[in-house]
Amino acid sequence: MLVLTRKLGESIAIDDNIKIVVVQIKGKQVRLGIKAPKETKIHREEVYQAIQDQNTEAVQASMSDIARLGEELKKK
Amino acid sequence: MKIKTTRFGELEVNPTDIITFSEGLLGFEHLKKYFVVDPGDSTLILWLQSTEEEKVAFPIIEPKIFKPDYIAKLLPADLNGLELNSLNSAKLYSILTIPANVTEMSANLKAPIVINSAAKVGKQIVLQDSKLSVKHEMYRELKTYIVNFSSDDAKRTNISSSIALEGEMKTNNRPAINETRNLEA
Repeated sequence: MLVLTRKLGESIAIDDNIKIVVVQIKGKQVRLGIKAPKETKIHREEVYQAIQDQNTEAVQASMSDIARLGEELKKK
Repeated sequence: MKIKTTRFGELEVNPTDIITFSEGLLGFEHLKKYFVVDPGDSTLILWLQSTEEEKVAFPIIEPKIFKPDYIAKLLPADLNGLELNSLNSAKLYSILTIPANVTEMSANLKAPIVINSAAKVGKQIVLQDSKLSVKHEMYRELKTYIVNFSSDDAKRTNISSSIALEGEMKTNNRPAINETRNLEA
């Protein structure tokens, strides 16, 4: 992994069209501004982890869970 | 072709019904081939069944059923690999999580499954909208729908209308290329 040191207001360019700016440093938090083409997908890493966890949980569902759900949904 | 599944036993599947997810699903990147199973039960839940691993099947549902105002705003990059010329041939599903207490079931609205039913390719797409939850509880809404409407296929909502391509949206509030997008904790 490439590690770079940046000061407040300084930035990093990735390719010709992506720029990451250090907007604010407050204690343990760093605020970053990202300039990128519209089609670039930008997400916090935790989002991917949360989706992966959801997928893993989703495949645990059994037919008996669905049967119970079906019964529950039918109740008035 | 015959495909073994843990939940549905051995199924006869038409090879043309097999959908390729070239990137797999998050956490299941090694599995690329799926097909949709409709057990035809009252819950309106379908299954995205792996052809490669019999126990891997995701319960899925059309999100319009429980959230009529849901719109998946796709970026042009999301269409890469989906071979979508028009959104009309796209189908949209949410993956469901069904815990022991079924009333706490939830749908992943943040990362829906988009399937191009014409080209037989699919993709789990992470939407940019930060307000969408990966764990949207929707038992109440599903129950309301089932009580009020028939499960008749003909009465199902028009799914393709719930997908929009960013840029074609009338209310496009996405920043332009040179504006700054902030990611903060």
